[in-house]
Amino acid sequence: MTADTGPTDARPYAGDSSIRVAAEAVSYGYAGSDDREPVLREASLAAEPGEVVALVGPSGTGKTTLLRLFALFDPPDEGRVTIDDRDAWSLTADERLRRRRRIGFVFQDRSLFTGSVAHNVAYGLTVRRSWRERAGRWARTLVGSDDPPDRVHRALETVGMAGMADRDTRSLSAGEAQRVAVARSLATDPDVLLLDEPTANLDPRNTAAIEDAVTDARDRGIGIAIATHDMAQARRVADRSAVMLDGTVIERGPTERVFDDPNDERARAFVRGELVY
Amino acid sequence: MMDPLSEFGSRYLVSVVLVTLQVSLTAVGISTVVSLAISLTMSFVDFRGERAVETVINTGMGFPSVVAGLGVLLLLSNQGPVGGGFAVGPFRFGGVELLFTREAMVVSQCVLAVPVITSVSLSAIEDVDQSVRDAAFAAGGTRRDVQLTVVREARYGIVTAVLAGFGRAISEVGSVLIVGGNIAVRDSSGELVSLTRTLTTAITIEARRGQYEVGIALGVVLLVLALGVNAVGNVVRARGERS
Repeated sequence: MTADTGPTDARPYAGDSSIRVAAEAVSYGYAGSDDREPVLREASLAAEPGEVVALVGPSGTGKTTLLRLFALFDPPDEGRVTIDDRDAWSLTADERLRRRRRIGFVFQDRSLFTGSVAHNVAYGLTVRRSWRERAGRWARTLVGSDDPPDRVHRALETVGMAGMADRDTRSLSAGEAQRVAVARSLATDPDVLLLDEPTANLDPRNTAAIEDAVTDARDRGIGIAIATHDMAQARRVADRSAVMLDGTVIERGPTERVFDDPNDERARAFVRGELVY
Repeated sequence: MMDPLSEFGSRYLVSVVLVTLQVSLTAVGISTVVSLAISLTMSFVDFRGERAVETVINTGMGFPSVVAGLGVLLLLSNQGPVGGGFAVGPFRFGGVELLFTREAMVVSQCVLAVPVITSVSLSAIEDVDQSVRDAAFAAGGTRRDVQLTVVREARYGIVTAVLAGFGRAISEVGSVLIVGGNIAVRDSSGELVSLTRTLTTAITIEARRGQYEVGIALGVVLLVLALGVNAVGNVVRARGERS
């Protein structure tokens, strides 16, 4: 169960068991776009516990939108997003919040708050506390007697940034900032982790650090969906892969099979680099 | 030749400074609460007429202070709804004598400061990147958590807004002259003390009397006060940015 008062056991915010998030034939268009032109058209995909699924495909095919629907930013126009086979948008707001809090999200762009690395990594833990406890911690911070929770340090260790809790986020490189964003998602012990092109524009060292964190999370039973342009990365980290084109998933299966012997003609052209888009 | 400055005791100057600070700080405090409520509502709630409200606020930024003073005067005079009162059925409201008091000056300064603080703080809040809102939501934040995070990210802009509002309030002369009356009286010891006279209105009257030295002295005090408050605001902001 997700608690709001900050319990103290080892995985206080994780669910009783790992969860499965799935999109079932979802269609979605952004408000304000021409006639709400659909970005997604009957796309289906699932993030299974203890498995990495890579979403690959050209830019603008709806990978980010699909991840945002998984994270319950918005309801789909058609189809369902399910969490453990229950339609997430038929739940009450409180139930949906509880389930949403079992999902972590790492964005492509720098998405850190101003302040220290610890403040960022602890954010997810902070919002899960009661207002009373938050006020107490805030008061202790003011007098300088509040240390970040252990889970903040553990999450930073996971991404290779141990000892950097006090750094100002403005002083971080793009790679370090992205590793902090990954740590922020891991600090709450999510059951599902969604990553939207987390290593775009990062150097090999930072890319490796993030990929290590992803495989480590997978080994701990976390279900992971990662959108990436880097097909070599998909091969390195993903158990399953899905190719998206024109807002729908045209090919899915074990990563090796998807890249070496795809069924769909367009998917074959894409993995060979022949698809001009 | 008699030194014009010696005509005024230090008590007079102190009372003018105290009235100025009391009126301006109270007005800015009230305006900040009102403005933040407006700018947060406009940032986080979609409602009909949002554009119209924004237009009114932006117009208010350059609102002539004498017109604001005239409006408050009409409101508070014994012919107006607040000063004269009005009846709804058997109930009678208003009838409060506020004209030529510091409270009236606070009202008129609020009318001028609210658009400034609202506009600048609204701009600061809306400048917070969408990625921050998304990150707060994705980390498990509720709607209120997201809003608080956005306000936290915009805090330096909000401090700037409050300082801008204070600048508008403390430098105000037209409206406080109309609704405050620029009143100073002699106390029991015969010394002149301010009742509703602020630094700006005092400068006006001294300049009109040809007491330029006194006017300059008051002007220097006004500048130092404005500079001091801005300096404190900047120090707070710089410390916050460093921490």
